[in-house]
Amino acid sequence: MVLKLILQLSLRNIARHKRRNIMLFAAIAVAVAGVSATNTLIRGFQADLLDSSISNLTGHIKIHAPGYRDDPTIQKSFELAKNFAPDVPAEELLGWAPRIRIPAVIMSERETRGIQLVGVDPNAEHISFLGNVPIDGEALSGSDDGQVLVGRELARQLETKVGRRLVIITQGADGLNRERGFRIVGTYDAEGTALEKIFVFSGLEKIQELLDTPNVTEVSVRLHQESQRISVKRRLLDFFVGLEVMDWRELEPQAATMYLFADSIIFIWFAVLMSALIFGLVNTLIAAVMERVKEFGMVRAIGMRKSMVISQVVVESIFIMSIGVVFGLMMGYGLYASIADGLDLGQFAGGVATFGMRSMLVPILRPSDFVLVAALSIGLGVLASLYPAWRAVKITPLDALRR
Amino acid sequence: MNDVVVECEGIERVYQDDAFPVRALNSVDLSVNDGEFVSLSGPSGSGKSTLLNIIGGLDRPDGGVVNVGGVDLGGLSDSALADMRLHKIGFVFQSYNLIPVLTALENVEFILQLQSVSAASRRERALHSLDSLGLGDLGKRRPGELSGGQQQRVAIARAIVTDPILLLADEPSANLDSTTTHELLEVLRDLNKSQGMTIITATHDPIVMGYTTRKVQLVDGGIEQDEAVPE
Repeated sequence: MVLKLILQLSLRNIARHKRRNIMLFAAIAVAVAGVSATNTLIRGFQADLLDSSISNLTGHIKIHAPGYRDDPTIQKSFELAKNFAPDVPAEELLGWAPRIRIPAVIMSERETRGIQLVGVDPNAEHISFLGNVPIDGEALSGSDDGQVLVGRELARQLETKVGRRLVIITQGADGLNRERGFRIVGTYDAEGTALEKIFVFSGLEKIQELLDTPNVTEVSVRLHQESQRISVKRRLLDFFVGLEVMDWRELEPQAATMYLFADSIIFIWFAVLMSALIFGLVNTLIAAVMERVKEFGMVRAIGMRKSMVISQVVVESIFIMSIGVVFGLMMGYGLYASIADGLDLGQFAGGVATFGMRSMLVPILRPSDFVLVAALSIGLGVLASLYPAWRAVKITPLDALRR
Repeated sequence: MNDVVVECEGIERVYQDDAFPVRALNSVDLSVNDGEFVSLSGPSGSGKSTLLNIIGGLDRPDGGVVNVGGVDLGGLSDSALADMRLHKIGFVFQSYNLIPVLTALENVEFILQLQSVSAASRRERALHSLDSLGLGDLGKRRPGELSGGQQQRVAIARAIVTDPILLLADEPSANLDSTTTHELLEVLRDLNKSQGMTIITATHDPIVMGYTTRKVQLVDGGIEQDEAVPE
C-alpha cells in the first residue's frame, strides 16, 4: 500500500516537470542507444575474430602429437584409425578434419618460397576457410588428388598460374628430403593475403604417400557453438590419451586476448558514457529534491518516515532511468537494424586485416547485452539517487517547513 | 473531558547562535486538557511556535518533559516521533502544505495510506472528512485549483481524518483574508464543540484568539498570562 503511494507520487512528480524530464529521458536514451548499437558492432567484431581464428585451419579444438607445436614436422605425428570419428554428439559437432601440415619449400621456374604444405580431405574442409573460398580453376577433388591448390598471392609471387607445375621439397617420415612436382589445379582467394602466402593444399593420401607415412599431424574439430568448447574438449582429452588437445584460445593467444578485450571494451565504453550521463541525472535529481524541500518537510512532519522519503527519491530515479532506457534500447535496436547488413570497411581493408577482421563488419545483437545495459543503467540510476535522497532527509522537517 | 492530553513541565529551548545563544523557551509549564481549544499567542520571538513544535514532536526541548497522550516524547526516537505524529497528532500549517501533484481527496487519503489503511476504508473516511468540512464536491481538484480557504480546509480534513487526540495549527490564518479566517475558525470551533477535538493553535491573529476557549500569552519565552475564556 505504501509502495503504491510511493509509485503514485513518483510518477506524478515526473509528469509535473515534463520539459525537464523529457530532456533527461532523451539524454538517457541517446546514451543507451549509443552503447547498445556500439555493442552490436563490437560483438560483430568479436564473432569475426572468432570465425577468422577458427576458420584459419585451427577449428575450435585441435589434436596434435606432443611437441608438434614446437617442432611441426612429420616426426611429430600420430596414427588415426581408419574408421575414426570423434565421440561428440551431432548437435554439437559441425565437423572434423584430419590433416598433415608440415613446412616445405615451393619452387616455380622463377621464384622460391617457404610454405606450409597441408594434406587435406577436401570433403571434410567445410569446417575451414577452404570450404567456401573462391577458387580460380578447380578445387581438389578428394584425398587422392595429387595436384595443389595455391593461394592467389603466392601464385603472383611465384609468377605462376593455374595449370603450371611447381616443385615442393619437404622432409619425409624417415628424415630424408622428399621432392615432387605438382600441377596447380587452382588458386584460392582468401580474405586478406596472409593465408594465401602460406598454405598450399593437396590431397591427404598423396601427401602421406610422399612422406611415406600413414599418420596425420593434426585433427581439427569444429563445433556449432563456441559455448560447447570446454565440455567437448574435456571429452576429447579423455579419448586422445597421450596427445595434446588444445582449443583455439590456446592455439591463437593473440586472437583470444583480443576476443576478451572486446568484452572489456564494452564495459569501458558503457562506464564512460553512463558516468557522464549520471552526473546530469544527479544534478537534475538534486534540483528536483531542493525544489520540494518544504514538501518533504511537511510529509515528514505529518508522519512519513525518512526511509519512505528516500524510497520516493530512489523510485523516481528508477522510473526516469527506466523510461530513458526503454527508449534508448528501441533507438539502439533501430540503429542496429539500419546497419544489420554490415558496415563496409573496404577502404580500411589492410588495417582491419591486421586485427583478424574481414572488410565487412556485420553487427550482432545479443539480447543478453541489451538486458545487461538495461540492468546496469537502472542500477546506476539507483546509485545516482542516493546522494539526492540523502539531501532530501538531511534537513529536519522543522527547518524544511521554515523555508 | 478533563483528561490531560498535553503536559509540559519546565520546557527549555535554546538556539545556539554563533555570537550568543537565544533562549526561545524559559522553563515553561503548560497542561492542556481534553476538549480544550487553546491559543498560544504573543509577539514574534515569544516562543509560541517553538512550544507548539515541541508539543508536536517536531522539535526537541533542551530541558524539561513533554507528555502527549500519556507518552513522554523525550524518550522517543525520530522514527517513533514520526509514528506519534502520524497516529496521534494532526497538523495544520500556515501555508497549507498540500502535495501539489495529488487531488484534494488524495491529499486526505495520503495520511491514511501512510497508516496502511485499506483502500475502501481510506476512500470512505477521506470523503467523510471532506464532506464534514463542506468540500465534498472538490475532491478531484488539485491544490492549485482551490482557493486559500479551501486549501486550508483540505489541510484540516487531512489532519482530522486519522481521529488524532490533538490538533495543532501553526498560524492557520496567516495567508487568509478575514472573511475566510472566520469561516475557517468556525470549522475549528465546530470540531472542538461537536467532536471534542483538543486544539492548540499558535497565532498572533486576534480573530483566531477570539474563537478559542483558553488564551495562553507568551512573552520572551515564558507564559505571561493563561486564562480561560468564558463561553
